[in-house]
Amino acid sequence: MSPIQRLFWLLCVLNLVLATSSGSDPHGSNDTLSHEYCVLGAGPAGLQMGYFLSMRQRDYIILERNSGPGSFFNIYPRHKKLISINKIYTGRRNREFNLRHDWNSLLSDRPDLLFQRISRELYPNADDYPRYLSLFEQELGLKVKYGVDIGRIKALGFRGDQGYVLTDQNGVRYQCRVLLVATGLWVPQQVDFLGSDLVEGYESIPTDPEEFKDQAVLILGKGNSAFETAQSILGRASRIHLYSPSPVRLAWQTHYVGDLRAVNNELLDTYQLKSLDGLVEGRLDDIAIVRRVNNEGKRRTGNKTSGKSLKAKEQLYLTLSELLDNQNGNKSSNVTAQNLPGYHTDNFSLRQPYDRVIRCLGFRFNFSIFDGSAQPPQCSGARGRLPGVTAWYEGRGTPNLFVLGTAAHSRDYRLSAGGFIHGFRYTVRAVHKVLEQRYHNIAWPATKLPISQLQSWILKRVNEASGPYQMFALLGDIILLRGSHCEYLEEFPLQALSQLSALSGRHVSEHGLMVLVMQYGLNHTDTLGPGRAESEWTKAWRSNFLHPVLYYYKTLPTEKDMRQRPVGWPLPRPEAVHHMVEDFLTEWDQPISHSQPLRRFLEYCLQTDLRPFYAESCFLMSLTSRNPPVFCRQGYLKKQGILGNSHLWQHAREAGLMPDHQGDVPPDTSVPEYLTHAGAAVVSRINFDL
Amino acid sequence: MCIVYLVALIFCITKVRCSSNTSKLIEDSSQSFTERMKTGKTSFIYFGNHVNPTIKLFLDQLEMSADALEDYGISVVKVNCSKETIAKYCTGEKLITKTYLLRGSEVLRSFDIDTVFDVSAIVSHVLFTVLYNEVRYVHTPAELLQVENAAKQMRDVVVGHIPVLGLPEHRALMEAAFVYGTKYQFVQTTGGPLLKHMGVDDLSVSKARLWFLHCKDMSRQMDQCPFTPMRKPLDTINIHTFLQLMEARLVTEANVDPSEVDMVHNHLNVPVLYLFSHPQTKRLDRATAQTLALQLRGEVGVVLIHRDSTDVKTPLQYNAAYRLPQEDVKYFTLNSAEEVMKLFKEELLQDYKMVEDEEENEEHWSDLEILDDEVSESVYRDRDLMLDLESITELTSDNFQSEVTQNKITVVLFYFKWDAVCMAFMQTYIQVADALEGVSGLVLAAVDCGEWTNICSDRDVTSFPFIMIYRPMEAPQPYRGMLGTESLQRFILLSQISGPVRLSSSADVLSFLEGDLYSKHADLSSIRVLGLFTSTLDTGVTSFKEAAKLLRGEAILGLFVHREAEKWVEGLSVNLPAVLLSRGSEVSREAYYLPSFSVNDLVSLVQRAVSDPFPELTVENLPWYLELEKPLLLLFVGKEYSTETSLTEMKHLLSSGQLPSFLPCWIHLGRTPVGRSVLEKYLGFVPPLPALVMSQLSTGGEVFLFPRERPLKAKNILQWLQSVENRDEHPAGVIPDTKWSPPVPVYDFLATMDQEAPGYASQRDPKMKTGAKEGHRDQDMTPNQRQTTHSSPKPQAPHEHSEL
Repeated sequence: MSPIQRLFWLLCVLNLVLATSSGSDPHGSNDTLSHEYCVLGAGPAGLQMGYFLSMRQRDYIILERNSGPGSFFNIYPRHKKLISINKIYTGRRNREFNLRHDWNSLLSDRPDLLFQRISRELYPNADDYPRYLSLFEQELGLKVKYGVDIGRIKALGFRGDQGYVLTDQNGVRYQCRVLLVATGLWVPQQVDFLGSDLVEGYESIPTDPEEFKDQAVLILGKGNSAFETAQSILGRASRIHLYSPSPVRLAWQTHYVGDLRAVNNELLDTYQLKSLDGLVEGRLDDIAIVRRVNNEGKRRTGNKTSGKSLKAKEQLYLTLSELLDNQNGNKSSNVTAQNLPGYHTDNFSLRQPYDRVIRCLGFRFNFSIFDGSAQPPQCSGARGRLPGVTAWYEGRGTPNLFVLGTAAHSRDYRLSAGGFIHGFRYTVRAVHKVLEQRYHNIAWPATKLPISQLQSWILKRVNEASGPYQMFALLGDIILLRGSHCEYLEEFPLQALSQLSALSGRHVSEHGLMVLVMQYGLNHTDTLGPGRAESEWTKAWRSNFLHPVLYYYKTLPTEKDMRQRPVGWPLPRPEAVHHMVEDFLTEWDQPISHSQPLRRFLEYCLQTDLRPFYAESCFLMSLTSRNPPVFCRQGYLKKQGILGNSHLWQHAREAGLMPDHQGDVPPDTSVPEYLTHAGAAVVSRINFDL
Repeated sequence: MCIVYLVALIFCITKVRCSSNTSKLIEDSSQSFTERMKTGKTSFIYFGNHVNPTIKLFLDQLEMSADALEDYGISVVKVNCSKETIAKYCTGEKLITKTYLLRGSEVLRSFDIDTVFDVSAIVSHVLFTVLYNEVRYVHTPAELLQVENAAKQMRDVVVGHIPVLGLPEHRALMEAAFVYGTKYQFVQTTGGPLLKHMGVDDLSVSKARLWFLHCKDMSRQMDQCPFTPMRKPLDTINIHTFLQLMEARLVTEANVDPSEVDMVHNHLNVPVLYLFSHPQTKRLDRATAQTLALQLRGEVGVVLIHRDSTDVKTPLQYNAAYRLPQEDVKYFTLNSAEEVMKLFKEELLQDYKMVEDEEENEEHWSDLEILDDEVSESVYRDRDLMLDLESITELTSDNFQSEVTQNKITVVLFYFKWDAVCMAFMQTYIQVADALEGVSGLVLAAVDCGEWTNICSDRDVTSFPFIMIYRPMEAPQPYRGMLGTESLQRFILLSQISGPVRLSSSADVLSFLEGDLYSKHADLSSIRVLGLFTSTLDTGVTSFKEAAKLLRGEAILGLFVHREAEKWVEGLSVNLPAVLLSRGSEVSREAYYLPSFSVNDLVSLVQRAVSDPFPELTVENLPWYLELEKPLLLLFVGKEYSTETSLTEMKHLLSSGQLPSFLPCWIHLGRTPVGRSVLEKYLGFVPPLPALVMSQLSTGGEVFLFPRERPLKAKNILQWLQSVENRDEHPAGVIPDTKWSPPVPVYDFLATMDQEAPGYASQRDPKMKTGAKEGHRDQDMTPNQRQTTHSSPKPQAPHEHSEL
């Protein structure tokens, strides 16, 4: 034990003693701070939630163990290049629309509080991110306590139904009714295999490429961090091999931003052009890394002292644990050629030794700070790295504890953007709306619309809304039909649809509901090949790219319906579904391909004619029908008819959509009036009879 | 006898159609006309003196109708007024557009030539008039029940639904009524209520229909006679066939082979179904045959053949057979009655229907690429038109605040570029902006909410297009009026006056009421509303001011707080505080007592007071009057010289206070041409103008037409209204309670998916391990089975280098 370690140990013990004594102190309650909401972590998710809580003037505190926000970005990504797109120029001034292409900003009502104020790079430097977060925190005056390192979280009452108590490194206790865990993922994921101690971690590798000069490098992992590392040393290392169980998934093929992004994929080039780099698939848990003196085969003399010579440096080999004898472990001296796969299969891909083996396997959630009763379970997916949460991001079995941000990615792992800033900023907003309903009885905000305005409102949303666009297939707009009007709820977590009433405080009427979701398609075609895009609206369901889909249900789907939903669908089979055909420009506003098919779908769901009419047609129908079409009822009869002008009427008449009451002869001639209409009466008769 | 007659008739019609060389049209001189009047025969006569293309067309049709009507003993006559003068009929008009149906010298009815526009229309209208007493005209289910009750045990009833009068279907029905009128009770209807009563669900398809009501064998206790709908299109031959089938026995029993059975069906080209009966199961077989026959009535004849006869040679393996027209008998074996129904309904009888359906389908799906609403289509046709937005200030986040605060009045339009309704209105908006260019301090501006979404959402704009009027230091005022050039322009100009106008002396009051003050606004609104108070302490003053703010742009309001205020209500039997209403320089002023009114009450009081008691209905003002939910006493007028007098009669009636429960109003067909279509929808034809109609729009939906014969005098109108109330008048039409279902069927994506990718859209099998697929995605520790060939490395050949 080094002196410094000894000192640290002493301090820790002292600390523990102090903490215990203050805990047993009868006046210890002075050290307990009480808040309605505790947010754990001042990263993007924590600050985002802080913003919503402060907007509603809730009693909250954000606790952060480091001295500034977003400390993850001080270290990661190791090579300092953020791969989230910071697109400043979109050609549009619509703030909501521009968020579709701004993956770094947090949500706020300040138009100037965007990441582009800090950086104008498309792929910004990681150091800019904590600076942005500081700016966000300060300009909005969020309540953050830095240097508070929560080491222990205890549930109050039965598994947290009374709230949670958090204890920091100084023994200060924070008691909160609702705990919002936004600690992110920062514990490096490790796989236990023989020789894993010989492996360097992504978190600690040198970032100077010179250190890898002429080295053979084996990287475990094929994600963005693995490729990012490979890319940075591509010009220095002699050979880079990437090894992991599954093949590379390309983000531009899977539409999942957590898969390999093109910005990191230079190694694919050098691999396919046979420039000494390569990708290999194989299991991780039964491999072994062994150290062996590279001495070009077994020397007959067996003289170990020659290890000091230049040629005899130690190198790392990848082998299988079952090829190793149990007793010899990974001691380099004992490893023989027979312990290596190359001995058995002469052309084994990874038969050459490596100078370095680097682990780039991602990160896991820090479960260790939770007491048993407060600990959310490990999610079965995502290699158990994430906590299991409900569809509204409450820990499973830990009521009043919500998980936000990257750690909440288990709901849409490998599916959508919930693990990334541009996705979870919206789920945080959704969770906040759930909190408002549950703890303050404030229902999910809804816009009340007359049914005749629904079509244009849907078009507005599909053309600008950023939440459903970024959190595709996961957040969707809910339209609660109420007869002559409807309520429009934005960005509801779809997997919680069966719980809609309880979570949102809004009920479903007998008229049913519609759900607007953005979705990628079947993805069965070659991503860049012919026939990848669909332009025929009747084939819209075969769209491959992100496109809006409307689901219509007569009643709210049950949990069972949700569980048994068709494979690959975000929602159960509806009463009727409408796909709006993908659009090259993502502008769904064309009358023939987008608006009219949408109108007809709405007409089907509402069982009514939604066509717009000019005032003249409404006049006729109001006098000759006891119940004119809804457009006339909600516009014309409310004294807000669309008169139009003769130029437009002429068009409509030529199209045969509007009867010509006027006839060919202008009425101001000396011909008796009824005669001028002789022809017209016949024409109009025929029109009405259609 | 009837059949012979009908066959002859059909023959005649065909003959007329192929050879119209020998015309049956008689031209009368004044002498022969006088003789005709004495004979007492029925004739259809046109008196003309001048021929223009329209009249020429009509004369051709008239000539053709002469042959058709001859069979009914009706002569068709024309009189040339330029040669002969016949008093009363040969009027001095240059163009005569009336035709007359005379029986002897009595005028049965006169028609406008646009009503009797072709042969079918002439024949149907003439026969309908001649058969007036035989064919009942009903509108409601209750009326039909009356007819049924009268017919029970006497004769069967034939009901024809004719949505549009004067078309060939109408003619076919009338001709059938002429032939079979003595045998059956004929009923004609045009309205929707009966359709529902007869079990027609799809009211959107407006086609002629016919039902046969079996009332003859009904006892009087039963409610409704059972009926059989005719499923084929209405034409003379089909109706004839159908009526013959109704007369035929329900089930014919026979003792010979199917090919030997001779039935009326075989001659009428109707399929026949043969069922074989065993002696043991005779009763059961009979019942089955009865049920089937009832279901197939009118379409298929049913024969029950007794196997015990030796003449029946049909092999025992078959228990049924059918025979289609012009085909041989086909034998088959069936297991249930449902099977037969299916066979006939879905296969054998579908032939011609399928052709129809296919046509319909093609129509729908070819429609997919065509816009089907008038607004979108008309805007779409302008897609190459660049709107000249010069006169409109485009607002953005950068200039919105400064613009709306720096101008005296800023009118702001919130719109979406891609919304057809918004863009249709944009043309109107530009017209208004151009017209108002040069009015100082007034700016017309627009915000594209597709781009400046925050401007619109911050102001809670949720319906588009939307207009808001901004004035510095004042709360913005939404525009809630018609989105048309005139309405908007009037509103903007009127709203320049910030109400109420404070009047300080009686002289001011006079000039205000007579419209001298603000005379340049007089042509916008001749109505002046004056609040009269004696003291500023009156709480009504504040309410009145508030109301004036809300009414800004709608009316000109003045306020007179003075001790002389009393003087202005003298003789109007109203106390102060009061509201005085003046309609321009007209003498009559109306006054309303104002106790403690709320602001909203005041606003609606003024709005009500401003509305005309005898309005001319126009496209722009109708909603204000429909709000009253009163039956309309609607006078349709044109340019006829009698227009003036009829309007005066109505005004008399109104001022005498005898029309409290009606809204008397009028439509000028020259100014509001769509009124003609209203009239036609009400009555099925356009009567000569002026025409007085009572339309119970909000109650019952019946329409009554003031009888043409009676002069339009106040006294007669009152009498007529009374008899309508006593239900002595037959309604002339019914306003349908249209459901307005979707105009085009939806494109069913689910069905397409199920067909093209079976299973893609179906719910998971609950027995399947749920989430198996999702689990797959998460199993990144094991190689993907699909893409890699090895799952666990073998010691001898581990780690294949998998080239993907």
